[in-house]
Amino acid sequence: MHISEGILSTPVLTAGAALAMGGVALGLKRMDYEKIPEVAVLSSAFFVASLIHVPLGPTSVHLVLNGLVGVLLGWMAFPSILVALALQALLFQFGGFTVLGVNTFNMAAPAVASYYLFNLLVRRGNRAVTAVAAFLSGALGVGGGAFLIALSLVTTGEEFLSVARLVFLAHLPVMLIEGIITSFCVLFLKKVKPEILEVGM
Amino acid sequence: MKKSEVRSQKSGGTPKNQRFFGAEDSGTVHEKLKGFRGWQASIVVCILLLTAYCLLPSTASAHRVNVYAYAEDGKVFVEGYFVDGTKAMNSLVEVFDAETGQKLLEGKTNKEGLFSFRIPRLTALRLVLTASMGHKNDYIISREEVAEALGQSGVNSQEAEVSKQRTGQNDEVAAERVVVSSKEIERVVTKVLDRKLQPIKNILLKMQQEASRPGMTEIIGGIGYIMGIMGIVLYFKSRRNT
Repeated sequence: MHISEGILSTPVLTAGAALAMGGVALGLKRMDYEKIPEVAVLSSAFFVASLIHVPLGPTSVHLVLNGLVGVLLGWMAFPSILVALALQALLFQFGGFTVLGVNTFNMAAPAVASYYLFNLLVRRGNRAVTAVAAFLSGALGVGGGAFLIALSLVTTGEEFLSVARLVFLAHLPVMLIEGIITSFCVLFLKKVKPEILEVGM
Repeated sequence: MKKSEVRSQKSGGTPKNQRFFGAEDSGTVHEKLKGFRGWQASIVVCILLLTAYCLLPSTASAHRVNVYAYAEDGKVFVEGYFVDGTKAMNSLVEVFDAETGQKLLEGKTNKEGLFSFRIPRLTALRLVLTASMGHKNDYIISREEVAEALGQSGVNSQEAEVSKQRTGQNDEVAAERVVVSSKEIERVVTKVLDRKLQPIKNILLKMQQEASRPGMTEIIGGIGYIMGIMGIVLYFKSRRNT
């Protein structure tokens, strides 16, 4: 889920960077002292998740975990994901620094959406509701990310429908896997430390 | 503050959790530990993922595509592969003149991630491989390498011409025989060398592929960086609070 350097045009890169900066600012404002370790640990999880690969047809995909990051952190997903992506670009040459903004926005925006749609259900619901809501937030994270990547690639002249279909189909299995992982993580966290699901917005 | 009191009460009411984390019940320590106990839970996720990564070493990967190419016998062979060695199938390869930037030709890789083409002209070549979903990389073949691949014939024909002139002028049969035989030797040596060097080329390619896969050092290092950043943020936040 990383767009490489040299693919997108400057206006798209600038727009992505501006949007990401806005998100990061909102996230930092909401980040209180107690949440910082959690943000950091989820950042590490996101950083490592991208190394777990799922082989698929002509290309292959990897775990993203942005849904999990989002449902637990809300807007703080932006700084969390930004740090992880910056380190991936630095250490693994995934993506790159010019596309950092776009990649951050593509990953973090669906994460925030997951928060708004499912955090309440995850917190208040019974076990079954929590499991389903967490599954959906994991799936939405990847699906939304895939959609935004397709949207970014359209600006390079690729036809939206074909790209979107390719990216989306490629990520269907990942959506499923991520949904399950997110579901297990959230259920576990809710059992052992329910207050971790509370996000001061 | 009110909220955190409520929270501590809430977690204080569930002794099972406390036993799980082995946390102390005494008020202030508990308060302090509270923020950090939570991420012990999420650290489990981290460790699980890391283990999963170690257990799945040879699966396919996305996020970065590599290109490797070499020129030989007037042709260029291009290979595209993802970080862990999966071939980049059916990917667009564009060939540019690296000196003028002019696009010379394009093609697609086959199922083995390979693409080859005849060298169109003597110049440095820039090969740009675009895999699906926004993965892209390039590789430059130097003018010397291209000249070498093309040039064997080019240089030889020049030599041959010179030798022809020489033989024409001097009419020395012996000289011609020497020239021809040395040419022959060169051809044979090249052929044998190519064959002998093939495994070494393969080893180099494999090594390059392995080197491009992220290692444990980078992964642990990256997590370390994140923890370090956390420390810095905590430090500044705590200074502001006091």
